[in-house]
Amino acid sequence: MRVNVTNLTFGYDYRTVLKDLSFKINSGDFLAVIGNNGSGKSTLIKCMLGINKVGPNQIFLDDVDIATYKSFINIGYVPQKFDDFNYEFPITVNEILTASNISNITEDSKLEILDKIGILELQHENINNLSGGQLQRVFIVRSLMNNPKMLILDEPTVGVDRKNVEAFYKTVNELNKDGITIILITHNIHESNANYSHVLSIHNGEGVFQEVERGDDE
Amino acid sequence: MILADAPFIVALFDYPFLRYALIAGLIMGFITPLIGSFVIIRRLSFIADTLSHFSLAGLSIGLFLINTIGMDFIGDPLYLAIIASVIGAFIIEILRGYYQNYKEISMPIVMSLGTALSALFISLSGGWNSSIYNFLFGSLLTVGDEYLAIISITTASVLILIIIFYKQIVLVSFDEQYARLVGIKIGRFQFASTLILSLVVSLSIVTVGVLLVSSLMIIPVAAAMKIGKSFRNTMTISIIFSEISVIFGLWISYELDIPPGATIVLINILILVLVVLINKIFVSKRIKQAQKEIQTK
Repeated sequence: MRVNVTNLTFGYDYRTVLKDLSFKINSGDFLAVIGNNGSGKSTLIKCMLGINKVGPNQIFLDDVDIATYKSFINIGYVPQKFDDFNYEFPITVNEILTASNISNITEDSKLEILDKIGILELQHENINNLSGGQLQRVFIVRSLMNNPKMLILDEPTVGVDRKNVEAFYKTVNELNKDGITIILITHNIHESNANYSHVLSIHNGEGVFQEVERGDDE
Repeated sequence: MILADAPFIVALFDYPFLRYALIAGLIMGFITPLIGSFVIIRRLSFIADTLSHFSLAGLSIGLFLINTIGMDFIGDPLYLAIIASVIGAFIIEILRGYYQNYKEISMPIVMSLGTALSALFISLSGGWNSSIYNFLFGSLLTVGDEYLAIISITTASVLILIIIFYKQIVLVSFDEQYARLVGIKIGRFQFASTLILSLVVSLSIVTVGVLLVSSLMIIPVAAAMKIGKSFRNTMTISIIFSEISVIFGLWISYELDIPPGATIVLINILILVLVVLINKIFVSKRIKQAQKEIQTK
C-alpha cells in the first residue's frame, strides 16, 4: 500500500499535536516512526486509521483520500494496549478470529496465519488464560485476517521479553518481504531487529523523514 | 394462588394457565440470558434495571388512563410499558452522547424519572392495588395467548437478527474500536441493540416484575461466565441455568404456593452461589495439586 501524507496538521481542542507533517512511502516499504512519549506518534496513527478525523487532501492511501474512506479493512492494526478489548468474558482465540473474518477468508488460510505467527496450538484457548505476549500474537493474527495491504504496529513489543521481541520482528520482516507495507511505532528503534526502509522521526509534532539502507534481518 | 393437590406434572396437563406460564417462562428464560450476555460484555448491566423502572412509568400511566380516565381501548398496560421502555432507551442514548466521559450518569437520571412518574401515576390511579403488585413482582400465572404470541414473535425475530449479525455483534461487543475500523456502523448498531434490549426488558416484566427483570438477564450469565470455556459455551450454559430456574421456580412456587417470579430469581441466585463455591473448591484443589507436583519435583 502506498501512503502519502501531505502537510498534515492535527490537534485536540487548542493544542496542535501534528504540525505540517509530510512523508511518502511505497508498497512493500517498512517505515519506523520514532519519537518520545507525547511527540504525536500515536496521534498520527489514529489520523491514518480514521479514529481521528482529518480534513481532505492530507492523507492518501493508494491514492485514495482517507476522508472518503468508509472502512479501513485493508489495514491491519495492532494497538499499543488492548484496553479497548473486553476481557473477563470467556471467548476463545478461534471465536475472536471468526468474528473478525469480515472478508470471509477460508479456514485453511486462517490456520496458515495462526501457524505463521506461531500460535496454532492456542486456537481453542480462552483468551483470559493467555499471557501478554500470546495475546499480542492473537491480535497480530487478527490484523492479518482480512488480507491487509499494510500493517500498523503501535509499540508492539512493550512488556515482551527479549527472545520474543526478536522472534516477533523476524515475523514482521517476513510479512514485509511478502509485500505488506509496515508502519512500526516505537520509542526505541535500536532494541529491535526490524528491517526498516524509512524512518520518520517526530519531535513536538514536527517530522523528519528519511530513507535508510536496509540491513540484513537474518 | 391455591392449586390442586395434584403433582406439578399432572397439574400442567389439567391447568392451561400453568402450561402458559411454563411456556412463557421457558421462552423468556431463553432470550433474556442471550441478550444479557451482550449486555454484560458491553458493561451495561445497569441498563436493564433502568429500563425496567422506566417501563413501570408506562404501566402506571396505562393504569391511570384505563382505570381513572376510562381509556379502555388501550387494553393491556403492557403496551405502554413497551413504549415507555423504548422512550427510556432513547433518553439514555441521548444522555450518553451528552455526557461522553460520564456515560453512566444517564442511568440514574432515567431511573429517577421513571420512578417519579410511576409514583405520581400510581397515586393518581387510586394508589396501591394488585395490578401494581403484579407489575413489581411479575404475574407469570396470568399470561394469555396474546402475551405468548408477542414473546414468541419477539424471541424468534431477535434470534434471527443475532444469527444474521453474529460476527458484527460479537465484534462490537468485544472490541468497538476494531469494529469501527472494519467499517461496522457503530451508531446504527447501538440504536438497534438498545431497541431490542428495551423490548425484551419490557416483556420480561410479566415474568418476574420490574424489580427483578435485570436479575433474569444478568444472574444466569454471571454464573455461566465463571465456568464457560468459550463464548458459545458460556451462552449455552447461561440459557441452561436460566431454564432450570424457570422449571424449578415454577414447580416450587406451585408446590409451596409462593410467587413464581421471586422463586425463579432466587433459584438463579442459588445456582450462582453454587457455581462460585464449586469453582472455588476446584481452583484451590488445582493449586494444591500444582504445589504438590512442584514439591515432589
